[in-house]
Amino acid sequence: MINIYTLSIAFSIIFLLVVIELVRRERLHERYSLLWIIFALIIVGLSVSRSLIENMAEFLGIKYAPSVLFLLGFLYLLIYSLHITTVLSRHADRIMRLAQEISLLQQKLESKGAQTDDVVR
Amino acid sequence: MNGLKILIIIPAYNEQACISRVINWVKAEIPCADILLVNDGSTDNTSSIARSHGVMVVDLPFNLGIGGAMQTGYLYAYRNGYDIAIQIDADGQHDPAFVHRLISPILKGEYDMTIGSRYLQASSYKSSASRRLGMLFFSFLVSLITGKRVTDTTSGFRAVNRRVIELFANQYPADYPEVDVLVRLHRNGFKFREIPVEMNSRQGGASSITPARSVYYMAKVSLALLVDLVRPR
Repeated sequence: MINIYTLSIAFSIIFLLVVIELVRRERLHERYSLLWIIFALIIVGLSVSRSLIENMAEFLGIKYAPSVLFLLGFLYLLIYSLHITTVLSRHADRIMRLAQEISLLQQKLESKGAQTDDVVR
Repeated sequence: MNGLKILIIIPAYNEQACISRVINWVKAEIPCADILLVNDGSTDNTSSIARSHGVMVVDLPFNLGIGGAMQTGYLYAYRNGYDIAIQIDADGQHDPAFVHRLISPILKGEYDMTIGSRYLQASSYKSSASRRLGMLFFSFLVSLITGKRVTDTTSGFRAVNRRVIELFANQYPADYPEVDVLVRLHRNGFKFREIPVEMNSRQGGASSITPARSVYYMAKVSLALLVDLVRPR
C-alpha cells in the first residue's frame, strides 16, 4: 500500500543511507551530517507511528494529519538553511582574512627580495 | 614629522586612469609618509603603474570590496608599527593637501580619528539630489546615535591614530564601512571629529554607484547601525 506514510518512511531511510554514505566517503563532514541524520530519524519515527502524528495533528488543530510531516520538514529546512548561512558567513570571514594574509606575505617577500637583490648588486 | 611613522593607504580597484596622478600628488604633498596601495583584485594595470612609481603595493588575490581592502592596509600599518594611518581614495576625489589638517588634531592627541568633510563648509563639491538626501539621512542617524554632528558620514578621507589602527586591524566592516565605523568607534569610546576639506569630482574611471546599489546601501548601512547598537563591546 503506497500512501504518504510509506513514501515518507522509504524516502527517509534512503535519505539516511545517502547521508551515511557521503560521510563514509568523506564528501560530507560529520559535523554537518549530524543534523541531517537526526532529521531523517525523526521523520522515520513519525512516519512509522501513525498514532503519534495523528495526536500531534489533533493537538495542533490540523485537519489533515500528514500535513504535520510537511510542517516539520519545512521548519527543519528553514532552521537548517539559517545554520548554513551562519557557516557561510564564518567561512567568508576566514577566506577574507586568508586573502589579506597571503597578499601581505607576498608583499613582504617581494620587499625582502628587492633588498637582497640590492646587496647582490 | 616628529619622527612618527605615517602610512597613506590607497585602496584601488581598476583605477589605472588616475592612479598615477594621485600617487604623484600624495608624494608631493606628504613626502615624509610611506604610501601603501592596496590593489583590490584589479583586472587592469593599477598594480603595475603603482609599482612603477616605487610605492608599496599589496595585491589581493581577488576583489574583497572596500572594507576588506582597507582592513588589509590597517593590518599592514599595525604590524609595521605605524603611528598614524591615512586613507585616501584612488580616484583623485581627495586633495592630499588637506592631510596636514587631518592629522594635526591626532598629533596633538585630541582625537583618535579625523574625517575630511565636504559639507562642513560651503564647498564647490556638487552631488545629485538623491545622493544629498541619502547623506542627510545617514547624518541624522549617526547624530542620533552618537550625539555628535557628522555632516559627511560616507567620506573615505580619514586619518587615525595607533589605537584605531589596532581596532581596525582586528575588526572592520566588510562592505560599506564608512558610516558603520563611526558608530563602532563611538561605542568603543573613541573620539572623532570632522575637518572641512574640498573634494573633486572623480578624475577618471567609473563610480560603483547605481540606483539599485544605493537602495541596498541605505538598507544595509541602516541595519548595520542598528546591529552596532546591540553588539557587545
